[in-house]
Amino acid sequence: METLAIYAPKLVTASDYIASGHRACSGCGEVLAVRYVCKALGRNTIISNATGCMEIVSTPLPETAWEVPWIHTLFENASAVASGIESGLKALKRKHGYTKEVKVVAMGGDGGTADIGLQSLSGALERGHDFIYVCFDNEAYMNTGIQRSSETPFGASTTTAPAGKLSMGQHTQKKNMPAIAAAHNIRYVATSCSSYPFDIMNKIEKAKQIKGPSYIHILSVCPTGWRSASNLTITMGRLAVETGIFPMYEIEDGKYTLNFDYPKLRPVEDYLKLQGRFRHLTKENTAEIQEHVLTEFNRIRMLAGKKIK
Amino acid sequence: MKCVNWGLLRLSELVTLTVNGNKYTAEKGQYILQVARAHGIKIPSLCNLDAVEPYGACRLCIVEITRGTRKRIVTSCLFPVEEGLVVETDSPRVVGNRKMLLDLLLARCSENKVIKQLAAEYGIEKSSFEKEYWTKENCIVCGLCARVCEQVVGVSAISLVNRGITKGPASPYLESAKACIGCGSCYYACPTGAIKMEDKKGYRYIYNWKIKYRLQKCKVCGIEWAPEKQLEYIRKKWDLPKGFFDVCPNCR
Repeated sequence: METLAIYAPKLVTASDYIASGHRACSGCGEVLAVRYVCKALGRNTIISNATGCMEIVSTPLPETAWEVPWIHTLFENASAVASGIESGLKALKRKHGYTKEVKVVAMGGDGGTADIGLQSLSGALERGHDFIYVCFDNEAYMNTGIQRSSETPFGASTTTAPAGKLSMGQHTQKKNMPAIAAAHNIRYVATSCSSYPFDIMNKIEKAKQIKGPSYIHILSVCPTGWRSASNLTITMGRLAVETGIFPMYEIEDGKYTLNFDYPKLRPVEDYLKLQGRFRHLTKENTAEIQEHVLTEFNRIRMLAGKKIK
Repeated sequence: MKCVNWGLLRLSELVTLTVNGNKYTAEKGQYILQVARAHGIKIPSLCNLDAVEPYGACRLCIVEITRGTRKRIVTSCLFPVEEGLVVETDSPRVVGNRKMLLDLLLARCSENKVIKQLAAEYGIEKSSFEKEYWTKENCIVCGLCARVCEQVVGVSAISLVNRGITKGPASPYLESAKACIGCGSCYYACPTGAIKMEDKKGYRYIYNWKIKYRLQKCKVCGIEWAPEKQLEYIRKKWDLPKGFFDVCPNCR
């Protein structure tokens, strides 16, 4: 779908459910991703949003950028609130003859998903509520000032994992959140990226059709926290996919599909050199990252039943 | 008057209409379907797309309107709102008609996933027509491909041909479509997946219009990213220098 450049994008629906005029930084990839997600979800949606960038930028007190019902929850209970809404709707249908088909969506950043909100997410996935969880992964706690999270990649410098003489920034690998979600044996898990609008919309459409929980992990480029130029947002996202750092795949009923595979992956330097948070990395560090990326990508290739290159 | 708020200067009138017993405000000139969708009321449709003018081919978006004492069935995608209009989107008459339409569509497209799913929502598992009339067609002749090609892309490479039961979208003289630029808009717009498109071994095929175009390879990364003919069309239209599209947007 991504090769249908220029004309086909004009055919996508013009209605937006997140209004312009929100307070996101220039070049924010997350708000782009939210826009595509909302386009695909449509009007009949209730969103429960964990604390994070998205909540901060979209709802400064007297105003709101949302044009769908939206609830701000705490970091730890976005999925718990979503399960409550879903159960409430079920009760409304049973007792009061409510007929509208409403999709419940929980949203959160990487901190609200992989660190603080993990237990409530796990519970909601296990109980099998009919909802979509969308994680907007910008690889650190950006709204509070770039503190490390478990989704921060190896080698990135953050304010709580700073690079210096004794440390090379984050020293652990990114947590594999899609695999954790898939381990709950839910029917649909996917990864996507803010630079691929069609891909996001297709995956949300698919998740919408499914009765039961589904999990979508979206890499959202954050120029502020990644210390990259704000005009390179789209490029950064595409480079993350083309270098193999962020493989885009879906898991449908346990079956893996790799959406973007390239004859030859780009070297990771292409991606790392554009970001200030990786500025301090030495050649050895980069080689280590490259090796890890290739192993991970080949693992996904193997799971998707493709030849390992 | 440098900073004009066009939202406040809107000249169009506002009208109030009733949909399923609830009152809604809408702008004059909007269609019922638009207004209903904006308020989350579900009306099925296949041939409607925001980017092109409404056409009213699939008829699935029919609703019942009341003006005075008279009731009428109209296609909501083509009916402009007016003051005091009363609309029923799921009255027994509407549902009955819609079921008939789906029954007919299901007989034509007996193996199409989209039609089957829509019909199943209305409790139709199998078309009630005799099996000898069933076909395995995918196209419902909504003309969306031709309309998109004309109104959005602006090349009019394809159109609807013939009359009656043989009517359908086709390239001129059923030969390879010469004006087609291979952009894939028709493939994207088609509601039932009747248009078969494929990118294979460096070429883009759209089998319905019998075209095969070479894909442009990026000089830097080697990814095939768009058909050469489309890029040539854009280059000529915007008067860009030769070799402008040698490199893909990511490598530029």
